[in-house]
Amino acid sequence: MHMIADVEIEKNIMDANKKLADKNLKNLEDNGIFCVDFVGAIGSGKTTLIEEIIDNTDYKIGVLAGDVISKFDAERIKSHNVPVEGLNTGKECHLDAHLVGHGLHDLPLEDLDVVIIENVGNLICPVDFELGSHMRIVVVSVTEGDDTVEKHPIIFQTSDVIVINKIDLAEAVGADVDKMVADAKKLNPNVKVITSNLKDGDGLDEIIQAIEEKKNN
Amino acid sequence: MHELSMAQGIINAVIDTAEANNATEVNEVTIELGRLAMVNPEQLKFILGVLVENTIVEDAEIIFDEIPVEVKCANCGFHGDAILDDKDHYAPMVKCPECDSLAVEILNGRDIVVKNIVIEKPDDN
Repeated sequence: MHMIADVEIEKNIMDANKKLADKNLKNLEDNGIFCVDFVGAIGSGKTTLIEEIIDNTDYKIGVLAGDVISKFDAERIKSHNVPVEGLNTGKECHLDAHLVGHGLHDLPLEDLDVVIIENVGNLICPVDFELGSHMRIVVVSVTEGDDTVEKHPIIFQTSDVIVINKIDLAEAVGADVDKMVADAKKLNPNVKVITSNLKDGDGLDEIIQAIEEKKNN
Repeated sequence: MHELSMAQGIINAVIDTAEANNATEVNEVTIELGRLAMVNPEQLKFILGVLVENTIVEDAEIIFDEIPVEVKCANCGFHGDAILDDKDHYAPMVKCPECDSLAVEILNGRDIVVKNIVIEKPDDN
């Protein structure tokens, strides 16, 4: 004879990642490290921004460079003489706390005061996966189209700073920077929105200042 | 393939629980899906369908319950379920129902929870 039974599970699928994110945060804090997580689409300028931050601050920085299968970003950043670990996600579209935990293990944490995480180029999936950072900066370039901010509300609503990059190209691609800034402020009224042209260094000081403020907070 | 890792987590939880309860078959799986989890229920269902092939979950009905979005408003202090403006978005913009502000802290509604399963198992008697 068979019987039918109703069995409670109550398992939060996101819990495993959250627990590992908390562990990463504790590991970072035990080492006195401030951690910034950069998200943004492919080609938005995340790697360039990280390179500029390395070259224009006195922080002792270590970097975890996420990428689907390549190590190009990690190699680029390594040329700035900072410790870098490349994290390959394979087919996955986002970094998760598990991979970041491995990456932190391989960085010389005792010698660092800032860890920068560069997520995989994607405005959607990283939203669901906390990594254990103190601050999230989203980078969006005008070349992605000036409707990109309003089309991806959650990542902009859950980030601490929104960088609108490549504003020098706005005219060439017919993008309205003011609209992007207004969309960002509408979605997240308390967020800091910074416009930048990293090729000429415009906006970089403001971005570094935002990191400094959050770090000292 | 964001849905794949989620689906694998769901199936592992279902099969572990089913086996621990001597199930011969799983008839029903109920999953709570936060309205702000960046997952499309249709895609998730499709991947689940692939993963359950040749398991005791193969013929189960998959039920999704939506979890509302709980917020605290930075503007007026409201605490409770948000208004979701999904006119133009699948993943909605989150607003305070009291003052319409978008300056809200999201407290709940991003999780995916395997709630319960209905199983068939040999009668204890």
